[in-house]
Amino acid sequence: MHATVRSVIEVASEEQGDFCILDTEASPEHLSRGTAQYADAMLLVVEPYFKSLETGRRMAALAKDLGLERVALIANKMRGEEDLEAVREFAQNNGLEVGGVIPYDELMPGAERAGSSPLDFDPESPSVRAIAELGEKIVSNGRVVRSG
Amino acid sequence: MKLAVAGKGGSGKTSFSGTIARVLARDGHSVIAIDGDSNPNLVVTLGIAPERMRDMPTLPSDLLRRTENGIELSKTLEEVCDSHSLKGPDGVTLLVMAHPQHAGTG
Repeated sequence: MHATVRSVIEVASEEQGDFCILDTEASPEHLSRGTAQYADAMLLVVEPYFKSLETGRRMAALAKDLGLERVALIANKMRGEEDLEAVREFAQNNGLEVGGVIPYDELMPGAERAGSSPLDFDPESPSVRAIAELGEKIVSNGRVVRSG
Repeated sequence: MKLAVAGKGGSGKTSFSGTIARVLARDGHSVIAIDGDSNPNLVVTLGIAPERMRDMPTLPSDLLRRTENGIELSKTLEEVCDSHSLKGPDGVTLLVMAHPQHAGTG
């Protein structure tokens, strides 16, 4: 199964306007299977607390072992400047880049309770708007983060 | 562009994956979303009714063949999507690696 996913991503379009989004398993172990090997970039979604950031750091190291040159943190559920500062400091100490910032969104637990997608639950909610802006940034830059 | 999304459980990675897929598709881009989690939930965050996934075949290993260049798909991506995907809102194509209910397989 992992090998099939890997091969699907390998042949997916590399056109700038076409996207292939792989939602990976929530453990570092899957990365060693190489499922994400042919991705152009890895986005590591992290919350501003140690265990989440530490998982992000481990995953970033594994991604680089796989040969993925572009790895970026997506700082999620940010409640304020202190949270953002914690993620930025962590990124800097570990040679990582913050590719996007998504605010904490009190509407999102409601979407989960309703079994709804965030976009359908409230397209104007702060977190959905932040993700849409990140999408626009990715489209206009043609990439997520600088190489390296 | 091919983006892998990862993170600790509960970090919001699946909500992020589903939402970025939807906003890019809504913006007119062709989007394939792949649920690579053995406990798949991407379907919900894409806004697809989960029961539609019940009859959907997951990506099996027999779609692969060994060639002198290594392992590759035995069908085109289009053929794989025709037989193994769902179309969701805004035209997102969903492919799923595993169903949650199949204990002991994989």
